[in-house]
Amino acid sequence: MELFLQQTANALALGGTYALLALGLAVVFSIMGLINFAHGELMTIAGYVLMYCGIASVPFVIAVPLAITASVLAAVAMERIAFRPVRSGSGATMLVTSFAVAMILQVLFQNLISARSQPVLLPALLSDSVRVFGLVIGVNKLAAIASTIVMLVFLDWFMKHQKTGVAMRAAAEDFAVARLMGIRANTVIAGAFALSGLLAGVAAVLWVSQRASVDPLMGFMPVLKAFIAAILGGLGSLRGAVAGGFLLGFIEIYLAAFLPPEMQEFRDPIGLGIVVLVLLIRPNGLIPSATLKAEKV
Amino acid sequence: MKRFLTLTAIGALLAAPVMADTLRVGLATAQTGGLATYDSPVIDGVHIAVNEINAAGGIGGTTMIELIEKDVRSDAAQTSIAAQELVDAGVSVLVLPCDADPSLAAIGIVSSAQIPAISTCASSPTLPMIGGDYMFANFPGDNVQATVSAAWAREQGHDSTYIIYSPDSQYTTMPLYFAEVFEKSGGTVLGQDTHSIGQQDFSAIATRIASLEDQPDVIMTSAYEPDFPSMLKALRAAGVTSQIIGSDGIDSPTTFSLGDAGEGVVFTTAGHALDGNPLADFNTKFEAATGNKSETVFNAVGYDLIKVVEAAVLVTEGSTDPQKIRDAIANLEGIQGATSTITYKGTNGMPVRQVALIQVKGGEREYLGSPSPDAAMIPAPRMQ
Repeated sequence: MELFLQQTANALALGGTYALLALGLAVVFSIMGLINFAHGELMTIAGYVLMYCGIASVPFVIAVPLAITASVLAAVAMERIAFRPVRSGSGATMLVTSFAVAMILQVLFQNLISARSQPVLLPALLSDSVRVFGLVIGVNKLAAIASTIVMLVFLDWFMKHQKTGVAMRAAAEDFAVARLMGIRANTVIAGAFALSGLLAGVAAVLWVSQRASVDPLMGFMPVLKAFIAAILGGLGSLRGAVAGGFLLGFIEIYLAAFLPPEMQEFRDPIGLGIVVLVLLIRPNGLIPSATLKAEKV
Repeated sequence: MKRFLTLTAIGALLAAPVMADTLRVGLATAQTGGLATYDSPVIDGVHIAVNEINAAGGIGGTTMIELIEKDVRSDAAQTSIAAQELVDAGVSVLVLPCDADPSLAAIGIVSSAQIPAISTCASSPTLPMIGGDYMFANFPGDNVQATVSAAWAREQGHDSTYIIYSPDSQYTTMPLYFAEVFEKSGGTVLGQDTHSIGQQDFSAIATRIASLEDQPDVIMTSAYEPDFPSMLKALRAAGVTSQIIGSDGIDSPTTFSLGDAGEGVVFTTAGHALDGNPLADFNTKFEAATGNKSETVFNAVGYDLIKVVEAAVLVTEGSTDPQKIRDAIANLEGIQGATSTITYKGTNGMPVRQVALIQVKGGEREYLGSPSPDAAMIPAPRMQ
């Protein structure tokens, strides 16, 4: 039983990180129908800021907000430079643009910083663990769970009580009508990107605090997981993204924990098989968005 | 017609690589992507050796080395394309990436062109077995590294082990060799786990190991960045205090910057700089040439590679005929490189080289020695 609870804590921490990642994709998708594959590169940018802060001996408590800010600014810049000119283009155009942005950034990291992975200095505290109700939980796991809760509460408040948040919800439902009500498309879309940058920044800190290094291609794996989680939860639905992230985390951890040893080699195919199975039963995801079809403005 | 014949004759002369004054070496290595962590420092070392040799008038004072470089982006298909392009460019020696899998992708081209190919730092002993007569490695084999680290663990009085390996690549199955040697020398293997390359989260495995009734004395893995730091931190956070043993893949600055979590980790690698030894000399050269300190032994491994090529061309007395160079490499004995002496004679292409044992102490490397492995204990190469 204790083992089960311990593994559940692990699953919560991983699922929380996936939820933040999937939310970042979903926020942008719900408004402009774009799956931003350059989302992972926002994480890489945040990772490099953490690395440079470590080299410059900037305390970690200052490095973290700097990294998150960098990710937010990069997301807004990305929207302004790359996505605004093609906003009225087809879904495929925007998708290809996002791949192009990701590749250009990767090449820039490789040429301007280093093709090799760079160590990130982290406070020793993050490698420690604490006892909570008889369970041994790593500090970075606790941080992951805590920041997921904080971010979800913040997002809920922002979407319900903030003008931009309310406008974003309206735009997600029907962008054309929302604009007729006087909502500025540019503000809403820039706001969505800023929010996704914020989520990417927080996820990046959690991600990098586990791996302790950053490399130019670091963003690929998390964006892939986020994509799976977002589809699993229901594309475009924020609650769905959270549910999908947690479900993916639970699937991965429980399979790694309880699959018999001789089956462990097939863990990933089995995990993805379960995802397919869920989608067969619920083709639009766990909590589908009310308006699946995002509109162009 | 006469003019045609003259042109053909000139063309044939230009195309013939034999007895030219320039040795063309084709580098089809990963300067970007996952393997760049290893290939890019190796190529830095290659440049230092080539510049040094060319500044002295070439190999033996006559044969200059010309490098033709291609980036294969850590991709197997791209490696075979680049290899073909380099063969077409008339290279006499090919240099392939640091992993057996992309190197093997080029093997058809290498064998049919009959040009010797050397992998920068792949350590899988199956590489020359599958690769055939023209494929050479440039690193201590996985089975030899595992023998050295298992012998060390047994000497330290460690009786039980747990291994974590990945079936995704030849290299990451090194713990299976370790388990074999560990058991052969009287130790017990408590269990094993698999992971996938690029896996971010190791908490499930760490929790399972932490909940074992008998804690293993040693945990062995050949996971490398970014997996290794994640795994190590997960194990330590779960309360596992076992000795961790890794392999050359973690000979990188990250391993030494992990703070308390990294303390005490032991790994095998290609060499260690001691005052006045060839590796220390190389590091001085590296700093003079680049202005930076050498952060990894892979720089010196690149230097070794060119030293091997140089020695082979000295044997062929300046001939750049690929077949002659291949035969010369296969018979090299006791060549002094930057990390170790290198012998290909009597092997199938997997060189006999020293293996150094390093322990992380206070964020620095502590040299535990370069014990010679007991030949009887070295496991036979395992086909994946």
